[in-house]
Amino acid sequence: MIREFGALTLNGFREARRNRVSVVVAVFTLGLLLSSTLVTDVTVYTFQRVMSDVGLGAMCLTLVLLAIFLSSGLLSREIERRTIFLVVSKPVSRALFIVGRLAGNMLTLAVLLVMMSVVFFTQVALYGLPVTAPQLVAAGMLWVELLVISSVGFAMSSFASQLVSAVVTTGVYFAGHLSADIYSLAGRSSSVFIQWLGKGIYYLLPNLARLNFRPQASYELMTPAVDIAKSAAYGVGYAGVMVALAVFVFSRRDFK
Amino acid sequence: MSSTIPIEVHGLAKTYRLGFWMNRKVRALQGLDLEVQPGQVYGLLGPNGAGKSTTIKILMNLVQSSEGSARLFGLPPTDENARRQVGFLPENPAPYEYLTGAELVTLAGQLAGMSGHELDQRVKEVIGMVEMDRAAKLQIRRYSKGMIQRISLAQAIVNRPKLLILDEPTSGLDPVGRRQVRDLILAERQRGTTILFCTHIISDVEALCERVVVLVGGRRVREGSVRELLSGQAPVVEMTVEGLSLTRLREFGHELAYAQDFGDRVLLRTGDTAAQALLQQALQAGGRVTQIQPTRYSLEDLFLDALKEARHGTVGGEIS
Repeated sequence: MIREFGALTLNGFREARRNRVSVVVAVFTLGLLLSSTLVTDVTVYTFQRVMSDVGLGAMCLTLVLLAIFLSSGLLSREIERRTIFLVVSKPVSRALFIVGRLAGNMLTLAVLLVMMSVVFFTQVALYGLPVTAPQLVAAGMLWVELLVISSVGFAMSSFASQLVSAVVTTGVYFAGHLSADIYSLAGRSSSVFIQWLGKGIYYLLPNLARLNFRPQASYELMTPAVDIAKSAAYGVGYAGVMVALAVFVFSRRDFK
Repeated sequence: MSSTIPIEVHGLAKTYRLGFWMNRKVRALQGLDLEVQPGQVYGLLGPNGAGKSTTIKILMNLVQSSEGSARLFGLPPTDENARRQVGFLPENPAPYEYLTGAELVTLAGQLAGMSGHELDQRVKEVIGMVEMDRAAKLQIRRYSKGMIQRISLAQAIVNRPKLLILDEPTSGLDPVGRRQVRDLILAERQRGTTILFCTHIISDVEALCERVVVLVGGRRVREGSVRELLSGQAPVVEMTVEGLSLTRLREFGHELAYAQDFGDRVLLRTGDTAAQALLQQALQAGGRVTQIQPTRYSLEDLFLDALKEARHGTVGGEIS
């Protein structure tokens, strides 16, 4: 089973690597990272903070868009193009297929994240600034955030078209960063129904703010390791639920 | 529990639900029974919408049956161990276009549990068998339809399957491509592989199959060995008569399986006994019989007769 999983993962990685969109995104991000040197002209005292904000922000923006693009169309595209016939008919379970494909996506995003981080941290070092632990944590936790977004895209893609999946996943991304606000806003309402609705939405949506360590990186605030581990566990757990949902739906689908 | 019988199907039915509210039903299969014995080449014949592809998709775990059971070597198709011994070529195969031919066949082998030197050797071997050596390192997006068909066949046989399931393996191929695919199927048969294939190219079935089942509207209407099915039919004679009209020939009162008046001649087909009487009557009436020859009852005739008997159109399952 491990061999088959490895084959599916590497195939997913190969697909993304040969996809022009991934290459364009990688080049674009590298350009964006290098352009952050322009901030030297507009900042005086907060140079290090702006550098961190722009660098990590550029990585987050482009990788999130790429994660939505790659995950939301993967299963629906396989079904539409009927490439799935050649794989699902092999002695691999549909669950393994889903997990292998997701792993391929995550491997691609991990490689891109490492490449971008190397450029970013090299740039920081070249300016004689220290590479801080909170920056490393923020970059690492970005991968967990990408895992959550990809798993939502996968779950949607198991039953909806690429367009619908992409729109919903993008919506979930933004709402996920605001879920705590939704909870507290609903809590202020006098209506019990609104309070329950707010709580329901809060528990249903991924709390992506919990995985966002970029503000701490900007202000060089180190988060305790236990809190980082809890956040990572939350992200992986949420992704696990989404993958289980994708497997449940996908296992019952007919491929006509 | 595993068994040596490659395919056993009992009372298999499939109803697709269509429409936004899923309230329209199409019965693609209605209680199909069939059994394919080891080493047999078994043909699934039928018009479009007869249920051939649905049967194959149920066997390959692409579609779930609504009723009945399907078994591959005694195991349900959902069991991965059942599919481990099977090679599958879908209709109009769509392999990953970003892979090269060699990478696709390697991936298929890996997913079937092969690895290392054995896999590398086997990939080279099957690519050679389908004569794709020169294009093996090209991305599939650059392949022609015939090349895609051949590389897809290579991925189907890479794991040395005991059972090969082929859905329209020769459709869309030029005569050379069809011959190559047919030769490959024959080579697999020589190796002892059980083969189930569906097609509506009847000459392929006649050339390759020992046993056939004819499906119409999701039901089995004929089943047996090709010889049995054809030998049970009365011999037919084809005649060309000049100097008499078709109306005049019909007045002799014989049942004509086929008749066509071309103005200067009439072409007709009738049973052996009727042909002898008709020959004498035509000559006595001043006609000239310019050609007479016995015709073999072909699989195509059988197929068309089965369609007529089933009183079914050529397209689709039952819709409600």
